[in-house]
Amino acid sequence: MTRAFWTLWKREAGAILLSPIAWVLLTCMALINGFSFSQCVAYLGQGVRELTVMQIYFYIFHFWFLLIILVPILTMRLFSEEYKTGTIEMLLTAPVRDGDVILSKFAGALSFYLLLWIPSLLGLAVFQIVTHNAVPVAWIPLGLSYLMVTLVGMLYLSIGLFTSVLSKNQAVSAMLSFTIIALLFFTGFLSYLVRDPGWREVLTYIFTLEQMRSFSAGQFDSRPVVFYLSGTVFFLCLTQRVMANRTLKG
Amino acid sequence: MIRVENLTKKYAGGEAVRGISFSVEKGEVVGFLGPNGAGKSTTMRILTGFLPATDGQIEVAGAKLPEESLLVRQRIGYMPENVPLYPEMRVEEFLEYRGRLKRVARKDITERVGLVLDQCGLSDVRKKIIATLSKGFRQRVGLADALIHNPPLLILDEPTAGLDPHQIRSFRELIKDLGRDRTILLSTHILSEVEMVCGRAIIINRGKIEASDTLANLAKRVQSGALQIEVKADPVGAREKLAKLSEVGGVVELNRVGEWVSFEVTALPGKDIRGEVDGLIKRENWPLRDFRREKARLEDVFVELTQE
Ligand SMILES: Nc1ncnc2c1ncn2[C@@H]1O[C@H](COP(=O)(O)OP(=O)(O)O)[C@@H](O)[C@H]1O
Ligand SMILES: [Mg+2]
Repeated sequence: MTRAFWTLWKREAGAILLSPIAWVLLTCMALINGFSFSQCVAYLGQGVRELTVMQIYFYIFHFWFLLIILVPILTMRLFSEEYKTGTIEMLLTAPVRDGDVILSKFAGALSFYLLLWIPSLLGLAVFQIVTHNAVPVAWIPLGLSYLMVTLVGMLYLSIGLFTSVLSKNQAVSAMLSFTIIALLFFTGFLSYLVRDPGWREVLTYIFTLEQMRSFSAGQFDSRPVVFYLSGTVFFLCLTQRVMANRTLKG
Repeated sequence: MIRVENLTKKYAGGEAVRGISFSVEKGEVVGFLGPNGAGKSTTMRILTGFLPATDGQIEVAGAKLPEESLLVRQRIGYMPENVPLYPEMRVEEFLEYRGRLKRVARKDITERVGLVLDQCGLSDVRKKIIATLSKGFRQRVGLADALIHNPPLLILDEPTAGLDPHQIRSFRELIKDLGRDRTILLSTHILSEVEMVCGRAIIINRGKIEASDTLANLAKRVQSGALQIEVKADPVGAREKLAKLSEVGGVVELNRVGEWVSFEVTALPGKDIRGEVDGLIKRENWPLRDFRREKARLEDVFVELTQE
Protein backbone atom coordinates (compact mmCIF):
# COMPACT_ATOMS: atom_id res chain seq x y z
CA MET A 1 0.00 0.00 0.00
CA THR A 2 1.18 3.48 -0.76
CA ARG A 3 2.10 6.13 1.76
CA ALA A 4 -0.82 8.25 0.54
CA PHE A 5 -3.19 5.42 1.37
CA TRP A 6 -2.02 5.16 4.97
CA THR A 7 -2.07 8.90 5.45
CA LEU A 8 -5.62 9.06 4.11
CA TRP A 9 -6.72 6.03 6.08
CA LYS A 10 -5.49 7.56 9.29
CA ARG A 11 -7.47 10.72 8.69
CA GLU A 12 -10.60 8.71 7.77
CA ALA A 13 -10.39 6.57 10.87
CA GLY A 14 -9.72 9.65 12.96
CA ALA A 15 -12.68 11.50 11.48
CA ILE A 16 -15.00 8.59 12.26
CA LEU A 17 -13.75 8.19 15.81
CA LEU A 18 -14.08 11.92 16.45
CA SER A 19 -17.69 12.04 15.27
CA PRO A 20 -20.44 11.70 17.89
CA ILE A 21 -22.20 9.18 15.66
CA ALA A 22 -19.35 6.75 16.13
CA TRP A 23 -19.94 6.57 19.85
CA VAL A 24 -23.69 6.27 19.45
CA LEU A 25 -23.12 3.35 17.08
CA LEU A 26 -20.60 1.69 19.36
CA THR A 27 -22.99 1.95 22.28
CA CYS A 28 -25.98 0.65 20.31
CA MET A 29 -23.93 -2.21 18.98
CA ALA A 30 -22.68 -3.16 22.43
CA LEU A 31 -26.20 -3.01 23.85
CA ILE A 32 -27.73 -5.07 21.08
CA ASN A 33 -24.91 -7.55 21.23
CA GLY A 34 -25.41 -7.91 24.94
CA PHE A 35 -29.13 -8.33 24.49
CA SER A 36 -28.73 -10.91 21.70
CA PHE A 37 -26.27 -12.74 23.77
CA SER A 38 -28.44 -12.92 26.84
CA GLN A 39 -31.22 -14.23 24.62
CA CYS A 40 -28.91 -16.89 23.26
CA VAL A 41 -28.03 -17.95 26.73
CA ALA A 42 -31.68 -18.02 27.76
CA TYR A 43 -32.45 -20.12 24.69
CA LEU A 44 -29.74 -22.57 25.56
CA GLY A 45 -31.04 -22.60 29.11
CA GLN A 46 -34.30 -24.05 27.79
CA GLY A 47 -32.37 -27.11 26.85
CA VAL A 48 -31.64 -26.60 23.17
CA ARG A 49 -28.91 -29.02 22.20
CA GLU A 50 -28.68 -29.02 18.41
CA LEU A 51 -27.43 -25.40 18.07
CA THR A 52 -24.27 -23.83 19.38
CA VAL A 53 -24.29 -20.41 20.93
CA MET A 54 -22.61 -18.99 17.81
CA GLN A 55 -25.32 -20.27 15.55
CA ILE A 56 -28.09 -18.82 17.63
CA TYR A 57 -26.27 -15.59 18.02
CA PHE A 58 -25.81 -14.93 14.32
CA TYR A 59 -29.28 -16.11 13.47
CA ILE A 60 -31.06 -13.64 15.70
CA PHE A 61 -32.79 -11.18 13.53
CA HIS A 62 -32.51 -7.78 15.19
CA PHE A 63 -28.78 -8.08 14.89
CA TRP A 64 -29.10 -7.98 11.10
CA PHE A 65 -31.61 -5.25 11.31
CA LEU A 66 -29.06 -3.15 13.11
CA LEU A 67 -26.52 -3.87 10.40
CA ILE A 68 -28.83 -2.60 7.68
CA ILE A 69 -29.27 0.69 9.52
CA LEU A 70 -25.75 1.00 10.81
CA VAL A 71 -23.92 0.83 7.50
CA PRO A 72 -25.76 3.74 5.84
CA ILE A 73 -25.16 5.88 8.91
CA LEU A 74 -21.51 4.99 8.87
CA THR A 75 -20.98 5.64 5.17
CA MET A 76 -23.28 8.54 4.38
CA ARG A 77 -20.76 11.23 5.23
CA LEU A 78 -17.74 9.67 3.52
CA PHE A 79 -18.03 11.59 0.25
CA SER A 80 -21.20 13.64 0.71
CA GLU A 81 -19.66 15.72 3.45
CA GLU A 82 -16.46 16.39 1.51
CA TYR A 83 -18.44 17.57 -1.48
CA LYS A 84 -20.77 19.65 0.65
CA THR A 85 -18.01 21.48 2.53
CA GLY A 86 -15.72 21.61 -0.50
CA THR A 87 -12.86 19.73 1.16
CA ILE A 88 -12.97 17.30 -1.75
CA GLU A 89 -11.32 20.01 -3.84
CA MET A 90 -8.47 20.31 -1.39
CA LEU A 91 -8.19 16.53 -1.17
CA LEU A 92 -8.15 15.84 -4.90
CA THR A 93 -5.74 18.65 -5.79
CA ALA A 94 -3.10 16.96 -3.67
CA PRO A 95 -1.03 14.46 -5.66
CA VAL A 96 -3.15 11.43 -4.71
CA ARG A 97 -4.87 8.93 -6.95
CA ASP A 98 -8.65 8.64 -6.91
CA GLY A 99 -8.14 4.96 -6.16
CA ASP A 100 -6.21 5.72 -2.97
CA VAL A 101 -8.94 8.09 -1.83
CA ILE A 102 -11.70 5.54 -2.44
CA LEU A 103 -9.81 2.64 -0.88
CA SER A 104 -8.80 4.64 2.17
CA LYS A 105 -12.36 5.74 2.82
CA PHE A 106 -13.53 2.18 2.39
CA ALA A 107 -10.80 0.82 4.63
CA GLY A 108 -11.44 3.48 7.26
CA ALA A 109 -15.12 2.59 7.44
CA LEU A 110 -14.33 -1.12 7.43
CA SER A 111 -11.89 -0.70 10.32
CA PHE A 112 -14.54 0.99 12.39
CA TYR A 113 -17.07 -1.63 11.39
CA LEU A 114 -14.76 -4.37 12.62
CA LEU A 115 -14.23 -2.46 15.83
CA LEU A 116 -17.99 -2.62 16.37
CA TRP A 117 -17.76 -6.40 16.56
CA ILE A 118 -15.27 -6.54 19.36
CA PRO A 119 -17.94 -6.38 22.10
CA SER A 120 -19.51 -9.54 20.67
CA LEU A 121 -16.20 -11.38 20.97
CA LEU A 122 -15.93 -10.18 24.52
CA GLY A 123 -19.41 -11.56 25.20
CA LEU A 124 -18.30 -14.89 23.90
CA ALA A 125 -15.19 -14.84 26.04
CA VAL A 126 -17.25 -14.06 29.12
CA PHE A 127 -19.57 -16.92 28.25
CA GLN A 128 -16.66 -19.32 28.04
CA ILE A 129 -15.25 -18.13 31.34
CA VAL A 130 -18.59 -18.30 33.17
CA THR A 131 -19.32 -21.78 31.87
CA HIS A 132 -15.77 -22.84 32.77
CA ASN A 133 -15.27 -23.76 29.13
CA ALA A 134 -17.89 -26.52 29.46
CA VAL A 135 -18.16 -26.61 25.68
CA PRO A 136 -14.76 -25.80 24.18
CA VAL A 137 -14.62 -23.01 21.62
CA ALA A 138 -15.19 -24.27 18.11
CA TRP A 139 -12.57 -22.23 16.31
CA ILE A 140 -13.56 -23.01 12.76
CA PRO A 141 -17.21 -21.99 13.06
CA LEU A 142 -16.12 -18.96 15.01
CA GLY A 143 -13.63 -17.92 12.35
CA LEU A 144 -16.11 -18.57 9.54
CA SER A 145 -18.78 -16.54 11.31
CA TYR A 146 -16.58 -13.53 11.57
CA LEU A 147 -15.35 -14.02 8.00
CA MET A 148 -18.97 -13.85 6.90
CA VAL A 149 -19.63 -10.79 9.00
CA THR A 150 -16.61 -9.14 7.40
CA LEU A 151 -17.62 -10.07 3.87
CA VAL A 152 -21.18 -8.85 4.31
CA GLY A 153 -19.83 -5.68 5.86
CA MET A 154 -17.51 -5.10 2.92
CA LEU A 155 -20.31 -5.34 0.40
CA TYR A 156 -22.67 -3.15 2.39
CA LEU A 157 -19.98 -0.56 3.06
CA SER A 158 -19.03 -0.42 -0.61
CA ILE A 159 -22.70 0.19 -1.43
CA GLY A 160 -22.78 2.96 1.15
CA LEU A 161 -19.59 4.47 -0.23
CA PHE A 162 -21.08 4.44 -3.71
CA THR A 163 -24.31 6.16 -2.70
CA SER A 164 -22.35 8.78 -0.78
CA VAL A 165 -20.63 9.84 -4.00
CA LEU A 166 -24.05 10.30 -5.60
CA SER A 167 -25.29 13.21 -3.51
CA LYS A 168 -24.00 16.09 -1.47
CA ASN A 169 -26.88 15.48 0.87
CA GLN A 170 -26.04 12.92 3.55
CA ALA A 171 -29.68 12.06 4.18
CA VAL A 172 -30.20 11.26 0.51
CA SER A 173 -27.06 9.11 0.46
CA ALA A 174 -28.18 7.24 3.56
CA MET A 175 -31.69 6.61 2.21
CA LEU A 176 -30.29 5.30 -1.06
CA SER A 177 -27.87 2.88 0.53
CA PHE A 178 -30.45 1.78 3.09
CA THR A 179 -32.83 0.96 0.25
CA ILE A 180 -30.28 -1.01 -1.76
CA ILE A 181 -28.97 -2.92 1.25
CA ALA A 182 -32.43 -3.71 2.56
CA LEU A 183 -33.52 -4.95 -0.87
CA LEU A 184 -30.44 -7.12 -1.08
CA PHE A 185 -30.99 -8.52 2.37
CA PHE A 186 -34.69 -9.25 2.11
CA THR A 187 -34.63 -10.59 -1.45
CA GLY A 188 -32.92 -13.66 -0.02
CA PHE A 189 -36.07 -14.58 1.88
CA LEU A 190 -37.87 -15.11 -1.42
CA SER A 191 -36.13 -18.46 -1.66
CA TYR A 192 -38.64 -19.67 0.92
CA LEU A 193 -41.38 -18.89 -1.58
CA VAL A 194 -39.86 -19.64 -4.96
CA ARG A 195 -40.46 -23.15 -6.25
CA ASP A 196 -38.36 -23.01 -9.41
CA PRO A 197 -35.02 -24.68 -8.53
CA GLY A 198 -33.06 -22.42 -10.89
CA TRP A 199 -34.24 -19.28 -9.15
CA ARG A 200 -33.72 -20.88 -5.83
CA GLU A 201 -30.12 -21.48 -6.74
CA VAL A 202 -29.68 -17.81 -7.69
CA LEU A 203 -31.32 -16.65 -4.51
CA THR A 204 -29.09 -18.75 -2.30
CA TYR A 205 -26.23 -16.60 -3.60
CA ILE A 206 -27.65 -13.58 -1.89
CA PHE A 207 -29.48 -15.16 1.04
CA THR A 208 -27.24 -13.71 3.69
CA LEU A 209 -29.06 -15.22 6.64
CA GLU A 210 -28.84 -18.78 5.32
CA GLN A 211 -25.21 -18.34 4.42
CA MET A 212 -24.55 -17.07 7.87
CA ARG A 213 -26.24 -20.09 9.35
CA SER A 214 -24.11 -22.57 7.45
CA PHE A 215 -20.92 -20.61 8.10
CA SER A 216 -21.60 -20.40 11.82
CA ALA A 217 -22.16 -24.15 11.77
CA GLY A 218 -18.67 -24.49 10.34
CA GLN A 219 -19.74 -25.33 6.75
CA PHE A 220 -17.62 -23.33 4.34
CA ASP A 221 -18.99 -22.43 0.93
CA SER A 222 -16.94 -20.51 -1.61
CA ARG A 223 -19.91 -19.10 -3.52
CA PRO A 224 -20.86 -16.42 -1.01
CA VAL A 225 -17.21 -15.46 -0.65
CA VAL A 226 -16.98 -14.86 -4.39
CA PHE A 227 -20.30 -13.07 -4.41
CA TYR A 228 -19.47 -10.59 -1.64
CA LEU A 229 -15.97 -9.90 -2.87
CA SER A 230 -16.98 -9.32 -6.46
CA GLY A 231 -19.92 -7.20 -5.32
CA THR A 232 -17.56 -5.07 -3.28
CA VAL A 233 -15.19 -4.60 -6.20
CA PHE A 234 -18.13 -3.75 -8.44
CA PHE A 235 -19.38 -0.96 -6.19
CA LEU A 236 -15.89 0.41 -5.60
CA CYS A 237 -15.36 0.64 -9.37
CA LEU A 238 -18.74 2.30 -9.77
CA THR A 239 -17.69 4.81 -7.13
CA GLN A 240 -14.57 5.62 -9.11
CA ARG A 241 -16.59 6.10 -12.28
CA VAL A 242 -18.89 8.62 -10.64
CA MET A 243 -16.01 10.36 -8.93
CA ALA A 244 -14.24 11.02 -12.22
CA ASN A 245 -16.94 13.60 -13.02
CA ARG A 246 -16.11 15.58 -9.92
CA THR A 247 -19.44 17.38 -9.72
CA LEU A 248 -22.38 16.29 -7.63
CA LYS A 249 -26.02 17.19 -7.53
CA GLY A 250 -27.46 18.89 -4.43
CA MET B 1 4.69 28.11 -15.99
CA ILE B 2 1.14 28.03 -17.28
CA ARG B 3 0.15 27.68 -20.90
CA VAL B 4 -3.49 27.42 -21.82
CA GLU B 5 -4.89 27.19 -25.32
CA ASN B 6 -8.51 27.23 -26.32
CA LEU B 7 -9.69 26.08 -22.95
CA THR B 8 -13.41 25.39 -22.88
CA LYS B 9 -15.52 24.12 -20.02
CA LYS B 10 -19.15 23.16 -20.41
CA TYR B 11 -21.33 22.49 -17.41
CA ALA B 12 -24.79 20.99 -17.64
CA GLY B 13 -26.10 24.55 -17.40
CA GLY B 14 -23.98 25.97 -20.21
CA GLU B 15 -20.48 27.14 -21.06
CA ALA B 16 -18.57 28.64 -18.15
CA VAL B 17 -15.28 29.08 -20.02
CA ARG B 18 -15.30 29.71 -23.76
CA GLY B 19 -12.06 28.99 -25.54
CA ILE B 20 -9.62 31.07 -23.54
CA SER B 21 -5.87 31.17 -24.15
CA PHE B 22 -3.26 32.72 -21.92
CA SER B 23 0.09 32.06 -20.39
CA VAL B 24 1.97 32.89 -17.23
CA GLU B 25 5.76 33.00 -17.26
CA LYS B 26 8.09 31.90 -14.51
CA GLY B 27 8.45 34.51 -11.77
CA GLU B 28 5.34 36.48 -12.67
CA VAL B 29 2.62 37.47 -10.23
CA VAL B 30 -0.53 37.57 -12.28
CA GLY B 31 -3.99 38.69 -11.25
CA PHE B 32 -6.91 36.82 -12.68
CA LEU B 33 -9.57 39.46 -12.56
CA GLY B 34 -13.25 39.28 -13.27
CA PRO B 35 -16.71 39.84 -11.82
CA ASN B 36 -18.48 37.03 -9.99
CA GLY B 37 -19.47 34.18 -12.28
CA ALA B 38 -16.86 35.11 -14.89
CA GLY B 39 -15.27 31.67 -14.82
CA LYS B 40 -12.24 32.31 -12.62
CA SER B 41 -12.78 29.42 -10.23
CA THR B 42 -13.70 27.08 -13.04
CA THR B 43 -10.46 27.88 -14.84
CA MET B 44 -8.41 27.43 -11.69
CA ARG B 45 -10.06 24.13 -10.89
CA ILE B 46 -9.08 22.92 -14.32
CA LEU B 47 -5.51 24.19 -13.97
CA THR B 48 -5.14 22.33 -10.69
CA GLY B 49 -6.34 19.07 -12.19
CA PHE B 50 -9.54 19.02 -10.16
CA LEU B 51 -12.00 19.43 -13.02
CA PRO B 52 -11.56 17.88 -16.45
CA ALA B 53 -11.64 20.42 -19.29
CA THR B 54 -14.18 20.00 -22.07
CA ASP B 55 -11.62 21.06 -24.65
CA GLY B 56 -8.22 22.70 -24.99
CA GLN B 57 -4.51 22.21 -24.35
CA ILE B 58 -3.18 22.88 -20.90
CA GLU B 59 0.35 22.80 -19.57
CA VAL B 60 1.02 23.65 -15.96
CA ALA B 61 4.46 23.68 -14.31
CA GLY B 62 5.97 21.76 -17.17
CA ALA B 63 3.44 18.94 -17.26
CA LYS B 64 0.42 18.33 -19.45
CA LEU B 65 -3.14 18.04 -18.24
CA PRO B 66 -4.98 15.75 -17.89
CA GLU B 67 -2.31 13.13 -18.69
CA GLU B 68 0.20 14.17 -16.05
CA SER B 69 -2.26 15.33 -13.44
CA LEU B 70 -0.31 13.84 -10.52
CA LEU B 71 2.85 15.62 -11.59
CA VAL B 72 1.02 18.93 -11.95
CA ARG B 73 -0.57 18.56 -8.54
CA GLN B 74 2.81 17.76 -7.04
CA ARG B 75 4.24 21.01 -8.40
CA ILE B 76 1.51 23.49 -7.51
CA GLY B 77 0.21 24.94 -4.30
CA TYR B 78 -3.51 25.58 -4.55
CA MET B 79 -5.75 27.49 -2.22
CA PRO B 80 -9.38 26.91 -3.21
CA GLU B 81 -12.09 29.54 -2.90
CA ASN B 82 -13.51 29.73 0.65
CA VAL B 83 -10.62 27.59 1.92
CA PRO B 84 -12.27 24.27 2.79
CA LEU B 85 -10.47 22.56 5.72
CA TYR B 86 -11.16 19.60 7.98
CA PRO B 87 -12.69 21.24 11.06
CA GLU B 88 -11.84 18.48 13.54
CA MET B 89 -8.08 18.63 12.99
CA ARG B 90 -5.52 20.74 14.79
CA VAL B 91 -3.58 23.24 12.70
CA GLU B 92 -0.26 21.49 13.06
CA GLU B 93 -1.75 18.05 12.59
CA PHE B 94 -3.54 19.23 9.45
CA LEU B 95 -0.37 20.63 7.92
CA GLU B 96 1.53 17.43 8.70
CA TYR B 97 -1.24 15.45 7.07
CA ARG B 98 -1.13 17.65 3.99
CA GLY B 99 2.64 17.49 3.88
CA ARG B 100 2.56 13.72 3.85
CA LEU B 101 -0.09 13.71 1.12
CA LYS B 102 2.05 16.04 -0.93
CA ARG B 103 5.04 13.75 -0.56
CA VAL B 104 7.25 15.85 1.65
CA ALA B 105 10.07 13.56 2.77
CA ARG B 106 9.41 12.01 6.16
CA LYS B 107 12.46 13.57 7.77
CA ASP B 108 11.61 17.05 6.47
CA ILE B 109 7.98 17.23 7.57
CA THR B 110 8.46 18.72 11.01
CA GLU B 111 10.82 21.31 9.64
CA ARG B 112 8.54 22.26 6.74
CA VAL B 113 5.52 22.53 9.03
CA GLY B 114 7.44 24.78 11.41
CA LEU B 115 8.59 26.91 8.51
CA VAL B 116 5.17 27.51 6.96
CA LEU B 117 3.59 28.05 10.39
CA ASP B 118 6.13 30.79 10.88
CA GLN B 119 5.80 32.18 7.40
CA CYS B 120 2.03 32.46 7.64
CA GLY B 121 1.94 33.80 11.19
CA LEU B 122 0.31 30.69 12.61
CA SER B 123 2.80 29.77 15.32
CA ASP B 124 0.49 30.90 18.12
CA VAL B 125 -2.43 28.78 16.97
CA ARG B 126 -0.55 25.65 15.94
CA LYS B 127 -2.29 23.54 18.60
CA LYS B 128 -5.77 24.95 17.99
CA ILE B 129 -8.59 22.99 16.43
CA ILE B 130 -9.37 24.41 13.00
CA ALA B 131 -13.11 24.72 13.72
CA THR B 132 -12.34 27.30 16.41
CA LEU B 133 -10.21 29.56 14.18
CA SER B 134 -11.31 32.95 12.86
CA LYS B 135 -11.72 33.47 9.13
CA GLY B 136 -8.38 35.25 8.92
CA PHE B 137 -6.53 32.37 10.48
CA ARG B 138 -8.36 29.81 8.37
CA GLN B 139 -7.21 31.69 5.31
CA ARG B 140 -3.65 31.53 6.59
CA VAL B 141 -3.94 27.81 7.19
CA GLY B 142 -5.08 27.49 3.57
CA LEU B 143 -2.03 29.38 2.40
CA ALA B 144 0.25 27.34 4.66
CA ASP B 145 -1.24 24.21 3.12
CA ALA B 146 -0.51 25.55 -0.36
CA LEU B 147 3.10 26.20 0.66
CA ILE B 148 3.86 23.06 2.64
CA HIS B 149 5.63 21.21 -0.17
CA ASN B 150 7.43 24.34 -1.37
CA PRO B 151 5.87 24.45 -4.84
CA PRO B 152 7.24 26.75 -7.55
CA LEU B 153 3.74 27.80 -8.61
CA LEU B 154 0.92 29.08 -6.40
CA ILE B 155 -2.68 29.24 -7.56
CA LEU B 156 -4.85 31.19 -5.16
CA ASP B 157 -8.60 31.56 -5.67
CA GLU B 158 -9.84 34.79 -4.10
CA PRO B 159 -7.35 34.59 -1.24
CA THR B 160 -8.57 37.71 0.56
CA ALA B 161 -12.32 37.19 0.19
CA GLY B 162 -14.17 37.63 3.46
CA LEU B 163 -11.31 39.17 5.45
CA ASP B 164 -11.46 42.46 7.31
CA PRO B 165 -9.31 45.37 6.09
CA HIS B 166 -6.47 44.68 8.53
CA GLN B 167 -6.33 41.03 7.61
CA ILE B 168 -6.51 41.90 3.91
CA ARG B 169 -3.55 44.20 4.25
CA SER B 170 -1.34 41.69 6.03
CA PHE B 171 -2.43 38.91 3.72
CA ARG B 172 -1.48 40.96 0.67
CA GLU B 173 1.92 41.66 2.18
CA LEU B 174 2.35 37.96 2.67
CA ILE B 175 1.47 37.20 -0.94
CA LYS B 176 3.75 39.97 -2.21
CA ASP B 177 6.54 38.45 -0.19
CA LEU B 178 5.91 35.01 -1.61
CA GLY B 179 5.89 36.44 -5.11
CA ARG B 180 9.56 37.27 -4.83
CA ASP B 181 10.70 33.73 -5.49
CA ARG B 182 7.59 32.07 -6.88
CA THR B 183 5.15 32.29 -9.72
CA ILE B 184 1.68 33.22 -8.54
CA LEU B 185 -1.69 33.26 -10.23
CA LEU B 186 -4.34 34.75 -8.00
CA SER B 187 -7.95 35.45 -8.78
CA THR B 188 -9.95 38.31 -7.42
CA HIS B 189 -12.83 40.58 -8.23
CA ILE B 190 -11.19 43.43 -6.35
CA LEU B 191 -9.16 45.74 -8.53
CA SER B 192 -7.04 47.40 -5.94
CA GLU B 193 -5.76 43.98 -5.02
CA VAL B 194 -4.32 43.46 -8.46
CA GLU B 195 -2.86 46.96 -8.39
CA MET B 196 -1.14 46.25 -5.12
CA VAL B 197 0.13 42.76 -5.65
CA CYS B 198 0.35 41.85 -9.31
CA GLY B 199 2.54 42.82 -12.20
CA ARG B 200 0.04 41.79 -14.81
CA ALA B 201 -3.67 41.24 -15.03
CA ILE B 202 -5.78 38.89 -17.07
CA ILE B 203 -9.30 40.21 -17.22
CA ILE B 204 -11.97 37.61 -17.76
CA ASN B 205 -15.66 38.17 -18.25
CA ARG B 206 -18.41 35.71 -19.01
CA GLY B 207 -15.94 33.00 -19.86
CA LYS B 208 -13.84 35.05 -22.26
CA ILE B 209 -10.58 36.92 -21.80
CA GLU B 210 -11.10 40.61 -22.41
CA ALA B 211 -7.56 41.79 -21.83
CA SER B 212 -4.19 40.57 -20.65
CA ASP B 213 -1.51 43.14 -20.08
CA THR B 214 0.65 44.91 -17.54
CA LEU B 215 -1.23 47.29 -15.30
CA ALA B 216 0.44 50.33 -16.85
CA ASN B 217 -0.57 49.29 -20.34
CA LEU B 218 -4.07 48.48 -19.25
CA ALA B 219 -4.45 51.90 -17.72
CA LYS B 220 -3.34 53.51 -20.98
CA ARG B 221 -6.12 51.77 -22.79
CA VAL B 222 -8.85 54.04 -21.58
CA GLN B 223 -7.31 57.38 -20.94
CA SER B 224 -4.34 58.81 -19.15
CA GLY B 225 -6.65 60.28 -16.63
CA ALA B 226 -8.14 63.67 -16.16
CA LEU B 227 -6.29 66.81 -15.17
CA GLN B 228 -7.71 69.21 -12.63
CA ILE B 229 -6.49 72.78 -12.77
CA GLU B 230 -7.51 75.96 -11.00
CA VAL B 231 -6.50 79.26 -12.62
CA LYS B 232 -7.31 82.94 -12.42
CA ALA B 233 -8.68 83.67 -15.89
CA ASP B 234 -11.77 84.48 -17.88
CA PRO B 235 -13.80 81.28 -17.56
CA VAL B 236 -15.25 81.25 -21.06
CA GLY B 237 -12.09 82.21 -22.87
CA ALA B 238 -9.90 79.84 -20.88
CA ARG B 239 -12.25 77.00 -21.53
CA GLU B 240 -12.17 77.57 -25.27
CA LYS B 241 -8.40 77.77 -25.34
CA LEU B 242 -8.07 74.56 -23.37
CA ALA B 243 -10.51 72.75 -25.62
CA LYS B 244 -8.52 73.74 -28.71
CA LEU B 245 -5.40 71.92 -27.54
CA SER B 246 -4.68 69.03 -29.88
CA GLU B 247 -4.62 66.18 -27.38
CA VAL B 248 -7.48 67.34 -25.17
CA GLY B 249 -10.71 65.39 -25.38
CA GLY B 250 -12.95 67.56 -23.27
CA VAL B 251 -13.09 70.37 -20.75
CA VAL B 252 -15.60 70.70 -17.93
CA GLU B 253 -15.88 73.68 -15.68
CA LEU B 254 -16.06 72.52 -12.10
CA ASN B 255 -16.61 75.68 -10.05
CA ARG B 256 -15.71 79.32 -9.55
CA VAL B 257 -14.43 80.96 -6.39
CA GLY B 258 -14.13 84.70 -6.86
CA GLU B 259 -11.86 85.14 -9.85
CA TRP B 260 -10.60 81.61 -9.69
CA VAL B 261 -12.09 78.97 -11.89
CA SER B 262 -11.37 75.25 -11.91
CA PHE B 263 -11.61 72.83 -14.84
CA GLU B 264 -11.39 69.17 -15.40
CA VAL B 265 -9.50 68.53 -18.61
CA THR B 266 -9.64 65.04 -20.07
CA ALA B 267 -7.18 63.65 -22.56
CA LEU B 268 -7.81 61.74 -25.75
CA PRO B 269 -7.23 58.00 -25.22
CA GLY B 270 -3.58 57.16 -24.69
CA LYS B 271 -2.38 60.78 -24.50
CA ASP B 272 -0.64 62.60 -21.72
CA ILE B 273 -1.77 66.24 -21.77
CA ARG B 274 0.20 67.57 -18.84
CA GLY B 275 2.86 69.23 -20.98
CA GLU B 276 0.42 70.82 -23.37
CA VAL B 277 -1.78 72.27 -20.65
CA ASP B 278 1.20 73.52 -18.71
CA GLY B 279 2.51 75.22 -21.88
CA LEU B 280 -0.80 76.99 -22.42
CA ILE B 281 -0.92 78.26 -18.85
CA LYS B 282 2.58 79.64 -19.17
CA ARG B 283 1.86 81.28 -22.51
CA GLU B 284 -1.31 82.90 -21.20
CA ASN B 285 0.33 83.86 -17.92
CA TRP B 286 -2.63 82.54 -15.91
CA PRO B 287 -2.00 82.51 -12.19
CA LEU B 288 -2.25 78.88 -11.16
CA ARG B 289 -3.04 77.42 -7.74
CA ASP B 290 -3.96 73.81 -8.45
CA PHE B 291 -2.65 71.32 -10.97
CA ARG B 292 -3.52 67.70 -10.28
CA ARG B 293 -3.73 64.57 -12.29
CA GLU B 294 -6.34 62.04 -11.37
CA LYS B 295 -4.53 58.78 -11.89
CA ALA B 296 -6.05 56.64 -14.55
CA ARG B 297 -7.81 54.04 -12.55
CA LEU B 298 -7.70 50.42 -13.39
CA GLU B 299 -11.26 50.42 -12.24
CA ASP B 300 -12.23 52.36 -15.34
CA VAL B 301 -10.53 49.79 -17.51
CA PHE B 302 -12.25 47.04 -15.69
CA VAL B 303 -15.70 48.58 -15.90
CA GLU B 304 -15.22 49.40 -19.54
CA LEU B 305 -14.05 45.92 -20.45
CA THR B 306 -16.61 44.02 -18.47
CA GLN B 307 -19.73 45.99 -19.09
CA GLU B 308 -22.49 44.56 -21.22
N1 LIG C 1 -20.50 22.80 -10.75
C1 LIG C 1 -21.12 23.66 -11.59
N2 LIG C 1 -22.18 23.25 -12.30
C2 LIG C 1 -22.80 24.09 -13.16
N3 LIG C 1 -22.46 25.37 -13.36
C3 LIG C 1 -21.41 25.86 -12.67
C4 LIG C 1 -20.69 25.03 -11.74
N4 LIG C 1 -19.70 25.76 -11.20
C5 LIG C 1 -19.80 26.99 -11.75
N5 LIG C 1 -20.82 27.06 -12.62
C6 LIG C 1 -21.20 28.23 -13.44
O1 LIG C 1 -20.10 28.62 -14.22
C7 LIG C 1 -19.96 30.03 -14.25
C8 LIG C 1 -18.59 30.44 -13.76
O2 LIG C 1 -18.45 30.15 -12.38
P1 LIG C 1 -17.12 30.37 -11.57
O3 LIG C 1 -16.01 29.77 -12.32
O4 LIG C 1 -17.34 29.89 -10.19
O5 LIG C 1 -16.98 31.96 -11.58
P2 LIG C 1 -16.08 32.91 -10.69
O6 LIG C 1 -15.15 32.10 -9.88
O7 LIG C 1 -15.39 33.80 -11.68
O8 LIG C 1 -17.01 33.70 -9.83
C9 LIG C 1 -21.09 30.60 -13.38
O9 LIG C 1 -22.11 31.03 -14.23
C10 LIG C 1 -21.52 29.43 -12.55
O10 LIG C 1 -22.88 29.51 -12.28
MG1 LIG D 1 -14.96 31.99 -7.88
